[in-house]
Amino acid sequence: MTAALLVATALMGLAGTAAGAIAPVRFRIALSSALTIAACALGFVVGAEVLHSGHAAVVHTTTLMPLASFSLALDRFGALFVVITAVVGICAMIFRFGYDGQGLASRTASSILPLFVTSLLLVPAASNVTTFLFLWELMAITSLLLVLTDHARRSEVQVAGQWYAVMTQLGAAALILGLVLLATRSGSQSFAVIAVRSAHLPAWVRSTAFVLAVVGFGSKAGAVPLHVWLPRAHPEAPGPVSALMSAAMVNLGVYGIVRVGMGLLSGGPAWWWLLVMGLGALSAMFGSLHSATSKDLKRLLAYSTTDNVGLMLLGVGASGLFADTGHRALALLALVAALLHVVFHAVFKGSLFLSASSVHQAAGSTDLDQLGGLLRRMPVSGPIFLVGGLAIAALPPFCGFVSEWLLLQSMLHGLPSGDVAIAVAMPIGVGVLALTGGLTAFTFTKAIGIGLLGLPRTQDAERAGEVGRPMWIGAGLLAVLCLVFGVAPFLVIPSVVDAAGAVPGLHLAGALTRGWNVALPGVPGMLAPGLVAIGLVGFGGLVALGRHLVQQRPVRLTEAWGCGRELQTARMEYTATSFGEPLTRVFEDVLSPARDVDVSHLAESRYYTEAAVIHTTIDDAFERRVYRPADRMLVRWGAVARRVPNGSVHRYLAFGLVALIVVLVVLA
Amino acid sequence: MSGSSYFSVLTLAAGTVLVCAVAILWLASIRAVISMVAVQGASLGLVAVVLGVHLHDAGLLAAAAVVVVVKAVVIPVLLGRASGSDSGSRESRPLVNVPASLVASAALIVLAFVTGRGVAHFVGTRAGALVPIGIATMLIGFFVLVARRRPTFQIVGLLMVDNGIALTAFLCTAGFPFLIELGVSFDVLLGVVVLMVLSQRLRLEFGDVDLDELQELHD
Repeated sequence: MTAALLVATALMGLAGTAAGAIAPVRFRIALSSALTIAACALGFVVGAEVLHSGHAAVVHTTTLMPLASFSLALDRFGALFVVITAVVGICAMIFRFGYDGQGLASRTASSILPLFVTSLLLVPAASNVTTFLFLWELMAITSLLLVLTDHARRSEVQVAGQWYAVMTQLGAAALILGLVLLATRSGSQSFAVIAVRSAHLPAWVRSTAFVLAVVGFGSKAGAVPLHVWLPRAHPEAPGPVSALMSAAMVNLGVYGIVRVGMGLLSGGPAWWWLLVMGLGALSAMFGSLHSATSKDLKRLLAYSTTDNVGLMLLGVGASGLFADTGHRALALLALVAALLHVVFHAVFKGSLFLSASSVHQAAGSTDLDQLGGLLRRMPVSGPIFLVGGLAIAALPPFCGFVSEWLLLQSMLHGLPSGDVAIAVAMPIGVGVLALTGGLTAFTFTKAIGIGLLGLPRTQDAERAGEVGRPMWIGAGLLAVLCLVFGVAPFLVIPSVVDAAGAVPGLHLAGALTRGWNVALPGVPGMLAPGLVAIGLVGFGGLVALGRHLVQQRPVRLTEAWGCGRELQTARMEYTATSFGEPLTRVFEDVLSPARDVDVSHLAESRYYTEAAVIHTTIDDAFERRVYRPADRMLVRWGAVARRVPNGSVHRYLAFGLVALIVVLVVLA
Repeated sequence: MSGSSYFSVLTLAAGTVLVCAVAILWLASIRAVISMVAVQGASLGLVAVVLGVHLHDAGLLAAAAVVVVVKAVVIPVLLGRASGSDSGSRESRPLVNVPASLVASAALIVLAFVTGRGVAHFVGTRAGALVPIGIATMLIGFFVLVARRRPTFQIVGLLMVDNGIALTAFLCTAGFPFLIELGVSFDVLLGVVVLMVLSQRLRLEFGDVDLDELQELHD
């Protein structure tokens, strides 16, 4: 039953691809989006059914690919990711009905987009190495093509595409090496067989495979230092694509690390997980710092994705570390926290990216310094962004709060365990979580304060209006989920616990939810998000009531963030750059911003200034220190290597002769 | 044919193939080289005939006939006719001069015998012991491709590579199946014709036929 539905999902996605390729222009978007929504709906049903029943959906055929079988087996762990992708996919496709920007209506994009969504849905189901790598590459290449949709009009898109192509293919190379090493050493390419036999493999094989998998999956997840494609590709991709990439594709990097590290290799030594935690901590801090200082809305969101992936990896690493030291309950708790963060991140980041695209369409820019006053002009999309921002800042009663609370609890409760690695790693993890929490709150205060409140800074922002209904419905559905999951996390936690329980060696001592509340089995601690929400609403009501009763004077209404002045202009407002300035100064060593001050004087006297403009640009430190030098070195080597083939036929023939001799000597 | 005289004739024929290869490196006159090609083709045919008689294999004898017709008669005649237009032309300035070429060929023969031992041992027959000769012929043919400028020499080098491969195959497995030998021979014939047409066009276009004139094509 589920197997047939899984096949139907794939076929429906392919039908969407065909529709995008051959349907007449008038029906192209409608037809391909509708079929993709259908594919996502089928995927949702399969995933939900597998999560509910625990019976894997298995599809196996030997005729689809030569020399290897095409094999899908969706277990509970994979099903969770399928469900996430399906929900984000449905919302992104609804959004697409109203979205007309960045060339997404073209024939190529319309046919590639369903294929991308389908590959996202199927990757977590792949159950042998060939199938996995095939679907993984399909996902990488289709997403690359979608990033490049608008390449003809803007050169930045081409640069972004190049970065993405290089990073994703480097990651894929590491992945192929790692998985093929596992498959050849264990004598089978089936995940199930590898999982059984991997325990008997030599330690270096297991460790090499794991590190290669972390590199490969980390580059897809956008973990520092492999994140450099993310802040370039996400802003340049069309809205629904960037939402899908950030809310669904990035998750699969985390999926892969758990699948290989805990599934195929059944856990490993402490240093593996300290490595994962280290990457997570670095990503969380670096990502949140850069998102706090970015002034482009989509770049800010992209860096915040790196930040959140860091938190997920922190949870995964903590889980592996607990499992290695025998703390099973804590291991499951940390993994549940990480997976819950995957779910919630998909929900709030999806709504944020979609509503940022709405802002782009309405105001013609995502540069915060070109926006302002949009909350009043976009009465639906504005609040949607607000909800997403509150959720990502981990404020109750929205969902981000629950997962970050669980993550914090799982790490705090590891402290008394007495193990040295845990005793060192967990306080650092807690500190990172606290720092990134603060920075994220700062970031979204800036995004909302500068972008949505205040006065419009440009005429485009002044003229902005609410976007079409499909767009705010698509983003709004996800925003509603932010609130629902934040108030009633018991709706989703049991499924996540089931999914995490599918990972070998992890099982829970008791239920994680108790009525409306989140409880921690085996450790003290409990959270009642419902009560928190009621309390917040009650407190808000009391404050409003108190003000109403106390206030006698007439209320003076001016712009929020207007510093109480009347008759102010947009030029008197804070800009995103100036808001981030103190933070940029504090972290100057890490960010090393380049400041440029242009002062122009009056023609009559040098003592009077006509205008002063400050430009601050913040490059990515890894890009500047690691990738650019590596790039220059490769180009230099390339220039040397180009001198070797000089066009002489004889020289080329000599290459052949030398190669032949080398082969003979090696084989002899 | 008795065992020892069979092996003597086989060794002589295979050795002639290699001697012809070395001679082609030594000679500069294109006419002499073409006659060496004919002798090499005939020797290769002789190898096939001896093996065919010894193994009572009619297919091998048919293959020998094809080899002799194509490699000892048709191709040399074609080559002679093509080089007739610039008769007496010599390889006046090879990329590697003759003494150095001979030293290199000695090194290649040693290499072939060192690396071919494994194959010879693997084949296990007395004929198999001669496999290094085939490898040496192929390597020298490749060397001719690298070290000589004139297109005729390029064609000859290609032929020698093919002869080396064919010799190795005959000695290892008593030859390819007849159909394959037929196909390979005609492939080589076609290759020779194409290269000859190409060298004619080169001469018409550039007035010279030095392949190194074609350096503009590189990336």
